[in-house]
Amino acid sequence: MFAFLVKRILAGSMIIILVSMMVYTLFFYGPQHPGLELCRRDNHGRCGPTSPKLYDYEEKLGYHNAIYTEYGKWAKGLVAERTITIGATEYKCPAPCLGLSYRDRTLVTEQFKDKFPVTLSLAVGASFLYLAIGVSVGVLAARRRGTVADKMLVSSTLVFSSIPYYLVALISMLVLTISTSVFPKVEYISPFDNPLQWVSGLLLVWLVLGLFGSTSYTRYSRGSMVEALSEDYVRTAKAKGLPARTVVIKHALRSALVPVVTIFGIDVAFLLSGTVFTEKIFQLEGIGKWGVEATVIKDLPVVQATSLMLAVCVVVGNILVDIVYSFLDPRVRLA
Amino acid sequence: MTLPAADLAVHGESSSAPPTEAARKSIAGRSPTRIAFDRLRKDPIAVICFVIVLFFAAIAIFAPWVQSLFGVSTDTVLASTRIDLVTRLPKIGPPNHGFTMDHPFGVAPGSGTDNLAVWIEGCRTSLFLATVATVLSTFIGVTLGLVAGFVGGAVDAVISFFTDLFLSFPFLLGALAVAPIISERYGTDIDKLRVVSFYSLVFILVIFGWMGVARLVRGEVLSLREREFVKAARVIGVPTSRILVREILPNLLAPIVVSVSLSLPGYVAAEAGLSYLGIGVFGRESWGQTVNGATSYWEIYPLFLLEPVIGIAVLVVALNLLGDAIRDAFDPKTRR
Repeated sequence: MFAFLVKRILAGSMIIILVSMMVYTLFFYGPQHPGLELCRRDNHGRCGPTSPKLYDYEEKLGYHNAIYTEYGKWAKGLVAERTITIGATEYKCPAPCLGLSYRDRTLVTEQFKDKFPVTLSLAVGASFLYLAIGVSVGVLAARRRGTVADKMLVSSTLVFSSIPYYLVALISMLVLTISTSVFPKVEYISPFDNPLQWVSGLLLVWLVLGLFGSTSYTRYSRGSMVEALSEDYVRTAKAKGLPARTVVIKHALRSALVPVVTIFGIDVAFLLSGTVFTEKIFQLEGIGKWGVEATVIKDLPVVQATSLMLAVCVVVGNILVDIVYSFLDPRVRLA
Repeated sequence: MTLPAADLAVHGESSSAPPTEAARKSIAGRSPTRIAFDRLRKDPIAVICFVIVLFFAAIAIFAPWVQSLFGVSTDTVLASTRIDLVTRLPKIGPPNHGFTMDHPFGVAPGSGTDNLAVWIEGCRTSLFLATVATVLSTFIGVTLGLVAGFVGGAVDAVISFFTDLFLSFPFLLGALAVAPIISERYGTDIDKLRVVSFYSLVFILVIFGWMGVARLVRGEVLSLREREFVKAARVIGVPTSRILVREILPNLLAPIVVSVSLSLPGYVAAEAGLSYLGIGVFGRESWGQTVNGATSYWEIYPLFLLEPVIGIAVLVVALNLLGDAIRDAFDPKTRR
């Protein structure tokens, strides 16, 4: 177990480093004039692609140096303080430094601290619903396999999940909060300030995200549950005279959850790295909306930070999934 | 459930009389594709979805004629002829006036452009882009999958590594990062930007879309290359490229058709979604862009938003259900 963990963490760190290099390279060479937005902002729009001012901005930001020097500086900033020069001003950036936003020159890490709780709240609520609705409905359907209710459920999840997610979210937002006020206005209020308002403000988002996402959990858990219920050990358990409840929950469900956990790990990682459509539609200031806005205005440090965050989430999610496997299914051996 | 073999035996026993025409037909061999097609024809959902998809495709292909049929166009008009300049709402058609045949879908608030014409052009963009992306990603995926599965060894290892790498990279983030860079680099003027933004979107969809087919094809090829007919072809000295194209590829028809029919709706939805986020096509009409612009008019002019929303939803759902039906038809394990 310990050796496995060390191995996985090392491999995971390698992937994170590789992704950060790829993202850095993409945004180092990609934009023709990475400093153009900054220079325009400072000079009331009077800064063209050929102007000497722009050259000066890019020089100071290090875009004329070799990429490995600049990547080195950036990576070192994660553990030590560094100074960043934008135009005529020098900014101090304490560790962990992810740079300064080109939009308003605040520290990326500070902005991150503001945005992350929003995304985290969304992810917690939605992932809870994924499992609660998806797995319980899937298990119920599997136990009543072949009945009309089961068939209707399977075909309705198929149709429902074929509709693009953003349309479902957009129409529910418009109909349920603007046309009628079935749900209160969607907003984020910190759970530490007012837990009730935190729930009521995000309830609709959780429901939309959770219900839509739970369709795939329903299908997966129904499928694997049908398989698990026909296994020999389930028949043995029944033959021993164990109550149906125990057989379903303790014997069948545990192994049926393995594929569910796999997609759950990946889904949570994606939820944590920002639900772009959800945050844009419901106007929530989370990581996803931040990332989209940053790409549109070419706020490179922010894009780097969000991509890195995503890579970290995916890698950590995958390692956790592997660990959970071994608890769920005694046949899985980590080696 | 009667097995085909049982039918055969019955016909064999009554061979004293020459088999009737109908009986001969029933035992005639049918190719798997033929069987799948027959199953598909008997599936009502598949037929309905196919008709819907055909309808959208016809609108997309004959867009200019459909527009002139209704006498509408996407040309910019002098807004004051159609728009009340104070409320910015249309003077003709919904929401404040009745239905008019001049503009069956109404006109857009603010600009006064005809909604039907924009809708038709949006349908065209959507299907055209999805088709180009599907063809390209299928081509790349099939080629790489064939090579990886057949050649094996280091080539397979490299291709599989990239397949997994791209699979683990999130599509949306890639699109967000790459699209603005391509547009900035190559779209130096408006005309170029129109073309570049279209193909950069295709590029992104293809770059993040080829892996599924590649994996599928690779898996199939791994088992096909060990079959007798492939070995026989090798023994008689058929060159590898010919074995791949003439012997193996025809056997991959079913998985390729299924993956094409399931990736089309994905691309239609992705195009509209990216346009909605503001990183879609430039200089063309797109349903996603209309949705983005129409959201703020929801309370006073819901029809303006609903038109593109229904367009996307109906097309994507029909394509998805058709794809599922095709997959079931090709799968010998499903029973209906």
